[in-house]
Amino acid sequence: MKRVRNQRLLSVILCVAGIILLASEAPCISKAFDEKIFDAGDLKPIDSTLKVKVGDPVPDFTLRAVSGGTVTLSEYRGTKNVVISFVPAAWTPVCSDQWPGYNIVQDLFDAYSAVLIGISVDNIPTLFAWTQAMGDLWFPVLSDFWPHGKVAQTLGVLRSDGTSERAIFIVDKQGIIRYIDVHDINKRPPLEGIIEALEKVQD
Amino acid sequence: MLGRSFLKEGTMGKRSLVLFFAALSSVLLATSAVQAQENAPDYAQALEKLRLYSPEDPSARKYLGLKDKDAQFFINQIDAELLLIEIFSMYCPHCQKHAPEANRLFEIITGRKDLKDRLKLIGIGVGNSPFEVKIFREKYSVAFPLLDDRDSAATNALSGVLTPHYVVLRLHKGGKIDVLYSDAGGFDDAEEFLKMVLSL
Repeated sequence: MKRVRNQRLLSVILCVAGIILLASEAPCISKAFDEKIFDAGDLKPIDSTLKVKVGDPVPDFTLRAVSGGTVTLSEYRGTKNVVISFVPAAWTPVCSDQWPGYNIVQDLFDAYSAVLIGISVDNIPTLFAWTQAMGDLWFPVLSDFWPHGKVAQTLGVLRSDGTSERAIFIVDKQGIIRYIDVHDINKRPPLEGIIEALEKVQD
Repeated sequence: MLGRSFLKEGTMGKRSLVLFFAALSSVLLATSAVQAQENAPDYAQALEKLRLYSPEDPSARKYLGLKDKDAQFFINQIDAELLLIEIFSMYCPHCQKHAPEANRLFEIITGRKDLKDRLKLIGIGVGNSPFEVKIFREKYSVAFPLLDDRDSAATNALSGVLTPHYVVLRLHKGGKIDVLYSDAGGFDDAEEFLKMVLSL
């Protein structure tokens, strides 16, 4: 009888143990960089209408750089192909895992006589803090904050909530747009898409 | 209070009391072990069901005991007793920074006769195309097999994973997998990490 009671007690203990163990499963706790990421959830893939197309001369712009000073697109005219990478917002999941990848392939850009320009509609202090977390970036990061999203709006990649699309534009040395990828905002454009486009520009 | 009332009613003897506290202690220990890994999910079921593409490099396929290039396989088909997996991404700055220490770990493992066939190391480039994985392998001279995620199977299976994330698995012959360790983040010292892995 005593044995039966003990067995019952043991069953109860094991059940409680199981419940405690199950309850201890928790969402993954982020580390360092990741602890600061804001997850906006699944967004409408594209929320704007392009105002330029492949073959058009690119509208010129001048924007403030996080590293100081300004960058004017036409400064590269005649010398470099330009890859412009718009990312929607700082401190968001996909964006945070996009430019750090480009950061290890400067040699690929060099091989196609190309430079990379990163643009976001965030302000300079925010972009400064965010890009610091990425390490030393070899390319300029520009702020399209004020007038808010003016460059994004000119190209037709400003979304209705004031962020920009996740978009890639490639401008050749003559200042002509040769490639546009307004990507699903929830996904990262594969690196080979940019490299293959640069190969075509080179041809 | 609970124990006291049991004793008062005479339904629980000394042995039962010892049994109760032993069970409770093991529960608390197990709970704290999970918490020590910062509540990182172990991805056991996800990894058991995950189908990956075998690497292009013949020496990598030989290392893993796989035959056909680009053929899909399950993790438990890998020829190893213990399997260390680094879940990484080419786009992850922490993974980039960690790459030399991961390489050092592989060198140590392959340099030890008692381990090289028993414990194997692979990387899964979550969300990475074959091209992106190739870039990472070449940039950081990674000698252990890095597998791509061309069909997003790893992205879907390991949703929300923070890279780098290490998993240590025991692979049983019948196909069963035991997760011995699962935690986000890399490690500072490959020797110390290996000691920890071998103590699991």
